[in-house]
Amino acid sequence: MTGSCLSVAFDAIPRVTHMLTKEMIQLIYVNKLKKDFKKTIKEPGLKGSLKSFVKPKTEIITAVNEIDFHVPKGEILGFIGPNGAGKSTVIKMLTGILTPTSGSCEINGKVPYKNRKSYVREIGVVFGQRTQLWWDLALRETYTVLKEIYEVDDKSFKERMAFLNEVLELDEFITSPVRTLSLGQRMRADIAASLLHSPKVLFLDEPTIGLDVVVKDNIRKAVKTINENEQTTVILTTHDLQDVENLCDRIVMIDKGSKIFDGEIAELKRKFGQSREMKFVPADFSALDKLDYEGEFHLKDAVEVENDGHNVSVRFDSDRISVEKMLNYTLSKLHVKDINVSDADIEEIIKGIYRSEVKVDA
Amino acid sequence: MRRIFKIYKPFTHAGVMLAAQYRVNFIFFILGDVLMCFINYFLWKAVFSSGGAQTFMGFSETDMVSYIFISFLTSTLAYSDGSYAVGEEIKDGSIAMRMIKPIRFDLAFLFQELGERTMSISIVFLPLMVGVEIFRFVVTGAVQFNIFRFLLYLLSLVLAYLINFYVNVCYGYSAFVLKNLWGSNLLKNIIIGFLSGATIPLAFLPPVLSAVLNFLPFASLTYTPVMIYIGMYGPVQILTSFGLQIVWLIFFIFLQQVIWNACVKRLSVQGG
Ligand SMILES: Nc1ncnc2c1ncn2[C@@H]1O[C@H](COP(=O)(O)OP(=O)(O)OP(=O)(O)O)[C@@H](O)[C@H]1O
Ligand SMILES: [Mg+2]
Repeated sequence: MTGSCLSVAFDAIPRVTHMLTKEMIQLIYVNKLKKDFKKTIKEPGLKGSLKSFVKPKTEIITAVNEIDFHVPKGEILGFIGPNGAGKSTVIKMLTGILTPTSGSCEINGKVPYKNRKSYVREIGVVFGQRTQLWWDLALRETYTVLKEIYEVDDKSFKERMAFLNEVLELDEFITSPVRTLSLGQRMRADIAASLLHSPKVLFLDEPTIGLDVVVKDNIRKAVKTINENEQTTVILTTHDLQDVENLCDRIVMIDKGSKIFDGEIAELKRKFGQSREMKFVPADFSALDKLDYEGEFHLKDAVEVENDGHNVSVRFDSDRISVEKMLNYTLSKLHVKDINVSDADIEEIIKGIYRSEVKVDA
Repeated sequence: MRRIFKIYKPFTHAGVMLAAQYRVNFIFFILGDVLMCFINYFLWKAVFSSGGAQTFMGFSETDMVSYIFISFLTSTLAYSDGSYAVGEEIKDGSIAMRMIKPIRFDLAFLFQELGERTMSISIVFLPLMVGVEIFRFVVTGAVQFNIFRFLLYLLSLVLAYLINFYVNVCYGYSAFVLKNLWGSNLLKNIIIGFLSGATIPLAFLPPVLSAVLNFLPFASLTYTPVMIYIGMYGPVQILTSFGLQIVWLIFFIFLQQVIWNACVKRLSVQGG
């Protein structure tokens, strides 16, 4: 009796302290971060341009609207959201490029846009759409330059290069000028450049954009390895949900500048995973006309049918239409050669959220 | 200091590579300028021969010829394109790639430009100087070249370049405000060219204007080094003008920092 009590108590202590430390060691604090852009509206015609020259008409765009989140040390955080959601703008504020309109962020005890020079020493940044490498220099020279800039000593530089070479396979193009590199090579080179000085935090804005599966895999492995070996905290934005599933401990989803989800992927699936997909092969495609889901279930826009000529897939929300009813109705209307119902994968869930089919309350 | 060279040297290298891409352009540019220089020369020759006077506002014909060529040399060497480079980077957002590195932009741009300028220096410097000295020798029958004065000239030239560079950086940062830089950049170059004495000696201007320009940073950009080279300045004048150059240089380095700090809040890096 006493023994079991004790064991419970002993069990409880480490867990509590673990939670506490996790709460306390937040490396990145973002509070009500907001960014407005002023956009001048150009009016058409000569008169218009004269007018906008004298008195430009401006419009305020809120790209990021009071976002809050924290990131503990050593976490890989996926930052996702549809095009134009404000992801890059957040990354630019966190890396000290843009100054927030209001709100604040603090990383590793520093305010990015205030102590820029000392702050950027501790971070690595890759913007998938831009390169930080010197266009005209051979890649190897670029790294020697960075070695000087970040004051990396000879020994660590050698070790680091060997390691980066291994995970990112730079060897095949390390002597080529940067401007001759292919997109995939350049991206690997850029990521290596961002890691040379062993940063505490790594920011990756679309690091896998436009890359083939092998290179993507390479890059994911590199990020994972660095994160595991050095407890590097990583924030990455991506449109490739494979990146998210393979790498991220947690995701923050934003849309139109506001945060709409913050949690683990499993939680996202649990929360929004009611959407199902029924796939079948009809015996006779002309019989498809007989299906009228909207009429049958009296629901508008709850069912989405896609027919690629071989398979028919029907996406629906199992909260509103039970799987049983769906199957019964479909099978009562036509003969099928094959049929199955599956959980929507993360891609489907996110597609749903982006299209605002799923209500989000974050 | 060594560290600075080590860190920023690659920017110089990048500048050399960049200039190499435009070398044909550059040669035509220089040829055009040299042509203008000769037109200027013949113009003044006509002025002197029609006036009949030995000197014009304290300048003999030889002085004037030296002035024309040395001021051309000086304004070419002390020329800075910094505002264009800085402005472009701000407009297209590539300044962001500099911001994520622990470096100073001014030094990065400076060393890059020095790289770009190495070629123009090597192409323009020797031929022009030798040409002017030969001319002076032929006309006066004596060697006019004075190594001490030449060294003072070099020092003044370096200061002139640095002031020019920082003026341009200040101007480039204003790309935040004046979204289109090109038109105003051209205008700025012409105005500064005139006010700094690259077109005509400041001594030819009305005395009040000339005195004002002498005190303002304009003279420091071209006029001062040229006057030192052709021996129009005595020791006191040389010292005061050096002092003035240094004061203006410090002023613009400081101003550049202030403008940047004010502007960075308004920076909007597009794309991504
Ligand atoms: N410099 C700027 N000036 C004006 N508007 C801007 C600027 N930068 C971004 N925006 C606007 O802010 C919004 C957010 O842009 P942002 O680049 O952060 O989106 P994103 O989430 O990165 O999108 P994507 O996935 O397409 O890269 C967009 O509507 C964009 O048009
Ligand atoms: Mg983006």
